[in-house]
Amino acid sequence: MDIDPKQYEQIKINDKDSHNIILSYLIHGCYKETLESLVTSTGLKVTNAQLEDMEKRKRILHSALEGNALDAIHLTEQMSPDLLENNKDLLFDLLSLHFVELICSKKQTEALNFGQAKLAPFGKVQKYVGKLEDFMGLLAYVEPEKSPMFHLLSLEYRQHVVDNLNRAILAHAYMPSFSKLERIIQQATVVRQCLSEELGKDVLSPFSLKDFLKRS
Amino acid sequence: MGGAEDDEPPSKRVKASYSYTQPKGYSNSSFLKESATCSSMARPLASQGDDELIGSQGIKKVEFVRVIADALYSLGYSKTGACLEEESGITFHSPTVTTFIQQILNGNWDGSLASLRKIGIADESIIKSASFIILQQKFFELLDREKVMEALKTLRTEISPLSVNNNRVRELSFFILFPKSRITDGLSGQRMVKSKARSELLEELQKMFPPTVMIPDGRLLQLVEQALDLQREACLFHNSDAGETSLYVNHQCGRDQIPSQTVQILQEHQDEVWYLQFSHNGKYLASSSSDNSAIIWEVNLDGKISLKHRLMGHQKPVSSISWSPDDSQILTCGVEEVVRRWDVSSGECLHVYEKGLLGLISCSWSPDGKCVFSGLTDKSIVIWDLDGKEVECLKGQKTVKISDLQITSDGKLIITICKETMILLIDRESKSERCIEEEQMIVSFTLSRDNKYLLVSLVNEELHLWNIEGRIRPVAKFKGHKRSRFIVRACFGGLEQAFIASGSEDSQVYIWHRGSGELIETLRGHSGAVNCISWNPVNPHMLASASDDRSIRIWGLKQLSSKQNGKGKSPVNNGIQYCNGATI
Repeated sequence: MDIDPKQYEQIKINDKDSHNIILSYLIHGCYKETLESLVTSTGLKVTNAQLEDMEKRKRILHSALEGNALDAIHLTEQMSPDLLENNKDLLFDLLSLHFVELICSKKQTEALNFGQAKLAPFGKVQKYVGKLEDFMGLLAYVEPEKSPMFHLLSLEYRQHVVDNLNRAILAHAYMPSFSKLERIIQQATVVRQCLSEELGKDVLSPFSLKDFLKRS
Repeated sequence: MGGAEDDEPPSKRVKASYSYTQPKGYSNSSFLKESATCSSMARPLASQGDDELIGSQGIKKVEFVRVIADALYSLGYSKTGACLEEESGITFHSPTVTTFIQQILNGNWDGSLASLRKIGIADESIIKSASFIILQQKFFELLDREKVMEALKTLRTEISPLSVNNNRVRELSFFILFPKSRITDGLSGQRMVKSKARSELLEELQKMFPPTVMIPDGRLLQLVEQALDLQREACLFHNSDAGETSLYVNHQCGRDQIPSQTVQILQEHQDEVWYLQFSHNGKYLASSSSDNSAIIWEVNLDGKISLKHRLMGHQKPVSSISWSPDDSQILTCGVEEVVRRWDVSSGECLHVYEKGLLGLISCSWSPDGKCVFSGLTDKSIVIWDLDGKEVECLKGQKTVKISDLQITSDGKLIITICKETMILLIDRESKSERCIEEEQMIVSFTLSRDNKYLLVSLVNEELHLWNIEGRIRPVAKFKGHKRSRFIVRACFGGLEQAFIASGSEDSQVYIWHRGSGELIETLRGHSGAVNCISWNPVNPHMLASASDDRSIRIWGLKQLSSKQNGKGKSPVNNGIQYCNGATI
C-alpha cells in the first residue's frame, strides 16, 4: 500500500520556492555559470560579492579534489582566515590528502619528511593517533593500494574531505552548510522511516528515492 | 664414546663471554666456531636411545637430562652443563639452535632468520611470527640509532610482506614519525617505546617455540614448585607460614597448628551471646547478646583479651555487629529495633538509625565507610549516610525477617537472603540481580575475604560453599555439626582462609579443611549451643566462639610453638584461664 499519487495534486508549489531550491543547490556546488544563466532567466537576485565568493570556493575545492591540498589550504586561509585554526580535524584531513598524494607519486622520503614536519604534531592528541597510524601505515607498504588502508587513496575519500571543507567554508560565512534540495530529500526519507516504524513494516514500504523518481 | 676430543678437559672449550648474557649450550657453539676438523664432536642425538624412560611415570630420559642441563646453566654452572651434555651424549640445544641464539644476541638478523627456517619448527605461522618480532627488533634498533630511512626500508620490504599482524605494522609506522620517541602518556600500555634488550627478545622467542626446540626457561624449578603447591594443598592442617620449605621431606603440618584448646573464657554477658566478630585488624573483638548489650574487647599483645567497653542502649537483644572498614567504629543492630553507631575508642554512641515505625533487622558498613546499610522489617533495604540521611532505599522483597546483610569489600555487591531458600546478590551499579537457590531453608551466610565465595548455612545441617565470581556455582559441602532450632553461624578463617569453622547446637565448635572438605577438629567446652564463631583475621591461631551458655571462649594452639611471634600465642596452662573483665 502506498500513498495515492492523486493526493500530490492537492499541494500547490510556488515557483519562487522551486527556484530558491535550485539556487541553493547551485550555490552549494559552486556551479557559477549555470547559476548566472538561471539568474538571467528567472529574475532572481544574486550579488557580485556572492558570485566572487563562489568563485573562490570553487578554486579551493578543485585544488583539493585534484590532489593539490597545500594550495587549497593556502587559499582557504586567505578567504576565511581562522577557519582551519578552529577546525583542526579538517586541517588534518587536508594535510593527509597531500601526504597521500606524495605516497601515490612514490615519493617516500618526501612523504616521510612531510609527515614528520606537519602531521606528527597532531600525534600528541589522543584522538588523532588512530588516523595518524592509518596514514603512516601506508608508508609501510611497497604497494599501498594492497594495504588494509587502501581506501585512503581513493577518490571517494578525497571527495568526502572536500565535502567537509565545503560545508566548513559555507558555515564560516554564515551560509547554510546543506543545500535545500539535500534537506528536502533527507526529510522525506526520515519521515517515511518514522511512519514505517509506527505503522508497522507491512503498511508502508521504505522510501526509495530511485523508485520514487522512476515512478513519477 | 671414543675419539680424540675426549682427552680435552671441558674447561678448555669454554671461552670468555660475549657482551650479552651467555647463551645456553655455549660450549657447543664455541666449538663449532673453532674448527671444522672437530666437527664430529656434534654427537648424534638419536643413537642414545631417544625412547629410554626413567622412573615409574614414563618420563623420557632425554627430556629429564635436558631439563637438568637447563637448570645447571641457569644457575651459572656452564662447565657442569657442558660436562653433562658430553657424558650423557644428549645435547641441550641442537647446533642450529645454538647458532640461532648467538645470532640473535649479536644482532645478526639476516643470519638468525635463515637459522630460523632450519631449526625444525613445522608450523609456518610460528616461523612468521618469530620472523616478525626479530625484524621488529631490527626496526627498533635502527630507529634507536636514528637510521630512519633504513628502518623504513625494513618495514616496507621485510616486515609488511609477512602479512602478519597488520595492526602492529600501523603502529610501527607511527613510530617512524618519532624516532627518538619517548611517548608514554595517552597511549595504550602495549606500546613499546624503545627497543628492548636482545636477551628479552630471546626470551620471547623461546616462549613461541615448541618446547622440543627450546626448553622453557626454569622448567625444573617450575616442576618442583608445582609439587610443593600440591603438597601444601593436601596438607589438612596447614595454618602457619612458620615452617620452612624443605625439599627433603614432603610438607605435612601437624594438628598442632589449629586452635583447639580453650585459652580464655569471657563471662561478661548476662544472657545468651548471639554474635561476635573480630575487627579487621585483629586487635578487637565485638560481641552482642540477648541481654540487650554489646561489648568491645581488646586483644592484648600477649594474646589475652580484656573488656574495653560495654555498649548499652538497645532495648532489644542485639543480633548483629558490623565493624567499620577502618575499625574505628561499629554498628550494632537490635532485633527489629534500631541500629546504633559507636566509637570504638570511647565507647560512645554516635548515632541511632531508625526508620519510622519499621524495625531494623541487620546492619552493614559500606566499604568506603561513608554509608550504613540496613534491612528492614518491610523487606526493603535502606542506605543512610553517616548522619542518618537516607541515600537510597531498595524496595521490594530484598530481605527476610531474619537475615544477614553483607557488602563485598569492593562495594559492588549487596548480598542478602531475600526468600527462605534464596540469596540475592544485587549489583549496586547496574542494579542487576543474581541469585543462589537452595533446596533447603537458608539460615545464615558469610562472605570470604576475597569476595569470591559464599558459605551458606542451611536448615538441614549442611554448609554449602558457593563460588560467586562470574558464573555462580556450588563448590563444596560441609557436614557434621548440629542445628535444629536456632541460628548457627559459620565463618572462614585460618591462613589464607583455608578453613571453615561453625558453631553447633551440640555445644561444640566444628572446623573443616576447606579444600578437602574434611572435618579436622571438634572443640568441646561450651555448655550451650554455640551460635557464632569468629576467626581472628590477623592471627590464624586465635578463634572465638559465642554461646547460649552466656560465655565467649577464646581458642588457641595446644602447645607452645618454637617460633613465637608477637600476636596471639598463648602460654600453655594446665587449667583454663578466667577473664575477670576489668572495666576501663
